[in-house]
Amino acid sequence: MTRFILRRLVQAALVLAIMSFIIYALIGLMPGDPIDLMIASDPHLSAADAVRLKALYGLDRPLFERYLAWAQAALAGDFGYSRLYAKAALTVLAPRLGNTAILMGASFALTLAIALPLGIAAARRPGSAFDAMVNLLGFAGISVPSFWLALMLILVFAVALGLLPAGGIATIGDGGILDRLTHLALPVATLTLASVGGHMRYMRGAMIETLQQDYIRTARAKGAGELGVLLHHALRNALIPVITVVALSFGSLFSGALVTETMFAYPGMGKLIYDSVLGNDFNLALAGLLLATLTTLLANLAADIAYAAADPRITYG
Amino acid sequence: MSAARLVAGRGWRGALGRKRLLWPALVLLALAAAAALGPPLAAALGQDASLVDLHHRLAPPSLGHLLGTDEIGRDVLLRLMEGGRVSLLVGGTAALAAAILGTAIGLIAGYRGGTLDALLMRLADGVIALPLLPLLVVLAALDLRKLGLPAAIVQSDAVSLYRIIALVSLVGWTTVARLVRGASLSLRAREFVRAAEALGARPWRVMLVHILPNLATPIIVATTLSVGEIILLESVLSFLGLGIEPPMASWGNMLTGAQETIALAPQLALYPGLMILITVIACNFLGDGLQAALDPRAGRR
Amino acid sequence: MLALSMRRVAAYLLGFLVLTAAAPATAGSASPGRPGDTLAIGISQFPATLNPLVDAMLAKSYVLAMVRRPLTTYDPEWHLVCMLCVELPSFENGLAEPLDLGGGKKGVRLTYTLQPDARWGDGVPVTTEDVLFSYEVGKNPKTGVADAELYRRILRIEAKDAKTFTLDVDRLTFDYAGLNDFEILPAHIERAAFADPAQYRIASRYDTDPTNPGLYDGPYRITESAPGSHIVFERNPFWWGKAPYFRRIVVWTVENTAALEANLLAHGIDMVAGELGFPLDEALAFEQRHGQEFRVIYKPGLTYEHIDLNLDDPILADLRVRQALLLAIDRKAISEELFAGRDPVAESFVPPLDWIYTDKVPHYPYDPAQARTLLEAAGWHLAGGAIRRNDAGARLSLALATTTGDRTRELVEEVLQSEWRQIGVDVRLHNQPARVLFGDALTKRNFAMAMFAWISAPENVPRSTLRSDEIPSAANSRTGQNYAGFRNAGADRLIDAIEVELDRGRRAALWHALQRLYAEELPALPLYFRASAFVLPPWLEGVTPTGHQYPSTLWVERWRAAPPS
Repeated sequence: MTRFILRRLVQAALVLAIMSFIIYALIGLMPGDPIDLMIASDPHLSAADAVRLKALYGLDRPLFERYLAWAQAALAGDFGYSRLYAKAALTVLAPRLGNTAILMGASFALTLAIALPLGIAAARRPGSAFDAMVNLLGFAGISVPSFWLALMLILVFAVALGLLPAGGIATIGDGGILDRLTHLALPVATLTLASVGGHMRYMRGAMIETLQQDYIRTARAKGAGELGVLLHHALRNALIPVITVVALSFGSLFSGALVTETMFAYPGMGKLIYDSVLGNDFNLALAGLLLATLTTLLANLAADIAYAAADPRITYG
Repeated sequence: MSAARLVAGRGWRGALGRKRLLWPALVLLALAAAAALGPPLAAALGQDASLVDLHHRLAPPSLGHLLGTDEIGRDVLLRLMEGGRVSLLVGGTAALAAAILGTAIGLIAGYRGGTLDALLMRLADGVIALPLLPLLVVLAALDLRKLGLPAAIVQSDAVSLYRIIALVSLVGWTTVARLVRGASLSLRAREFVRAAEALGARPWRVMLVHILPNLATPIIVATTLSVGEIILLESVLSFLGLGIEPPMASWGNMLTGAQETIALAPQLALYPGLMILITVIACNFLGDGLQAALDPRAGRR
Repeated sequence: MLALSMRRVAAYLLGFLVLTAAAPATAGSASPGRPGDTLAIGISQFPATLNPLVDAMLAKSYVLAMVRRPLTTYDPEWHLVCMLCVELPSFENGLAEPLDLGGGKKGVRLTYTLQPDARWGDGVPVTTEDVLFSYEVGKNPKTGVADAELYRRILRIEAKDAKTFTLDVDRLTFDYAGLNDFEILPAHIERAAFADPAQYRIASRYDTDPTNPGLYDGPYRITESAPGSHIVFERNPFWWGKAPYFRRIVVWTVENTAALEANLLAHGIDMVAGELGFPLDEALAFEQRHGQEFRVIYKPGLTYEHIDLNLDDPILADLRVRQALLLAIDRKAISEELFAGRDPVAESFVPPLDWIYTDKVPHYPYDPAQARTLLEAAGWHLAGGAIRRNDAGARLSLALATTTGDRTRELVEEVLQSEWRQIGVDVRLHNQPARVLFGDALTKRNFAMAMFAWISAPENVPRSTLRSDEIPSAANSRTGQNYAGFRNAGADRLIDAIEVELDRGRRAALWHALQRLYAEELPALPLYFRASAFVLPPWLEGVTPTGHQYPSTLWVERWRAAPPS
């Protein structure tokens, strides 16, 4: 098992390195003189510093050398200076990552709490009205554009009813738990509703397939109670593909978070990446993208490990 | 030796005969027809979708403007139709491009197997698992001139159209690739393929002449399934200002300003999103139905 | 107002009232409209630095105006007034004397006296030592000041005593008495930071120690600064002017206007600054919905929104084409429908509020028929297609650029594009981020039409924007802001004459002539002058919007809460 984990870690590190190279190269293709902007973004740089940095990172150097110079600094924790926020890029990112983690975590938990039970329940009564409704909701869930969902929620709850705030993370002068929760309500609702459809369908499908297996019939024949059959036999096996899908959806959850954060002016990582790309703050954009990729890779790694641990049929190594 | 044909599921006739497939197909046809009717309708009304009329901003529905006007006085119905044309065009073209790319990759992976297969499927997994939107945001902001594209294209009207089709195809090929790979894997073991190989047919010939024709079904199913996803991707990029750029209307970019005017004109936020929802649901139902009818191995009911 | 029928407005109001009647109050805790001794102001940007000399930024001027006083400035009535000085020098009161610099060049010697009670926040008096030190810092090329030209023109400064000094300037211009941008630094604190001039930007106490009271000589001093979030101001005990009403002011940065609005409604902030707050159309919408609870003041200003035309483009080189482009757009409708008439239409680069303004210039009312005639005369014909072609077969097609991320500008662009299409001109939109537009496209003159705004001071001489030697090119290392490439000998003569004409009557005539020339030659398409919207609570009095680049906070000591009635 350890060898398996180690190998996957190495693979993840390799992917991260490749991604960082690709992203670095892409940033260089931005309009204007992006490398110059990255170097000159720090107003506290002296002229001598600027010259030195140009020698290291300037566009007259070949791409690979520039990348290596940047990577070296990055590994030491220096991601450059953010033009938009007048701070080191990493210090801007850290609190934002926390905010996004809260948003994604809450939505993720809520999504699973809704999708799994509904999917299982629908699988137990295939063809029924309940099943049809769940199926329809699932379809709607995967077909709805998340930003439109956000607009509709804002329209109903913020504009028409005035119950919930349409944006921000807290009211100025407040910041208490209740205030923060009301500000989280609509973003979490949007992200949850956008993700729940897919997971629900997948759970239902996996469950149906599992329930048709022979060993379920055997268990029932042996007299095991329905709940026992469900939990001990069916669920454990159905969960395996579901874990994979759920963990792989981390990437799309992040994309959903980007849209949600932008719609609700929620100061998270997704909005930061969007703002920094459009605001020509390339140090920040680079660092943000890499952090996003890193967390996604780690989530996939966790999924692989969970999958390997859960399924006794999988051999590791 | 002629390529043998597979008999898939209940066959096409059976598939189309089912009511489940009929209504989404009809919905999509209706949408396409409505979108295509846009220009002649505009000409008949003496207007066009980009005609600005500042003195009648945010007007309620009337005879001249069946769904009212937007924040600078353009007719909402005509813009919805133009948006439909653009979204369906982008959806269709990108899906086609993604299908070609995905088929190529899936075919090679499934037929060749081994490390190539593992590598390509890892790549597919990687693309699926990536936080797509952040990456697409960066890709959409690239300066096309630096990529070496000729100035004529970069400054043309339709460049945002080409760009979004390219971007969306770059990430939309995975569904097709997976399905095609699965089908190729099972086809590879069939007798007629083995026979062709035994007779000395080169790999390319085997893939193109023998396997590919039998992939028609999974390709069609996969492509239909991916159209919905592609339309969603295009609309979110256009909404963020990185896809179809105004004045060309797309359902996504019609919603870009909707947040600001949502209190004054909520209907402007409602219609385009509703259209996207209907179109994508129809695509998904169609794809799902096709899969159920045509793919004998699919486990769902 | 916006073109909504009363019935529709009533319907919406009714709908909202019915729905909100049953709903609890919005999330938020502060009690409504509490006048007290603190004031919370919301602005949309945070200053990147607090150093007065470097980086010209509106957010920084806004904030610093509460804690520092300039020598002179323009007041809300657009008159030059003294702040830190006692009396404006003039030839009449003898504080200004002509200076013969030899070789026929004339300069001027000015005498200023600092306010006798002026002191820094740590009690140290403001003296001529500070003035001399500031001059040293400003003229040193390694410091990297934003406005180097100001220091270049000063020949020498001499201190007569602790409070009086004389200044020798190398030319006599009509605005000779104004030293609005000469920032006076506290020598006793900043001298240490200036030990190595090249490091001054990094070492300045304004950034390393912003809560040091000795840095500030205004009614308030900064007691807390949280970058990106807020700044806290408290009364300066050594302030020598009128005692400010509010004990404490907090300036909050909220970058998103929807959040700004939400916080305003929840009373987390009391007011939104007009200088950088709501865009005009959002302020208009806000007033429609909440005009009962808040007071919205619209101040027309000097922000000149226009479209620069690249006169070296073969299509735009023809005056008839430029005139046609201007005649084909309905600027009055844009102003009335999109901006509720708050943004007056511009006919030249001088705003109606400036005393040198004249409306006796060629006007271009909306006249698409005339535009078509002009285009035909210029050789552009409709040969069956929707877009005109000339005899060589080339299409009448132009590219319009503006800054991305500005929804209002994008809407205006779409309006203009549609109107130009009506006369057979194809205009493609190529928006770019501000940095790229200003830093790259404009300075390299890599554009056909560019829509953006100039913000300036009253009676600002357009030397860098209209003079023929200010065209940025590779030869002059891209200095100058004459992006259009306007080369007009008459304009050059007028600009030079205006600068040195001291007689107001004669100068006004010259200004009028320049405006007429501008409207005749059209190096740019004038659009409108943008107003700014100040959103204030009903109990706040004394806020005087200025409409120019010197912010309303220069008179913050006059702001007060009206007693509850």
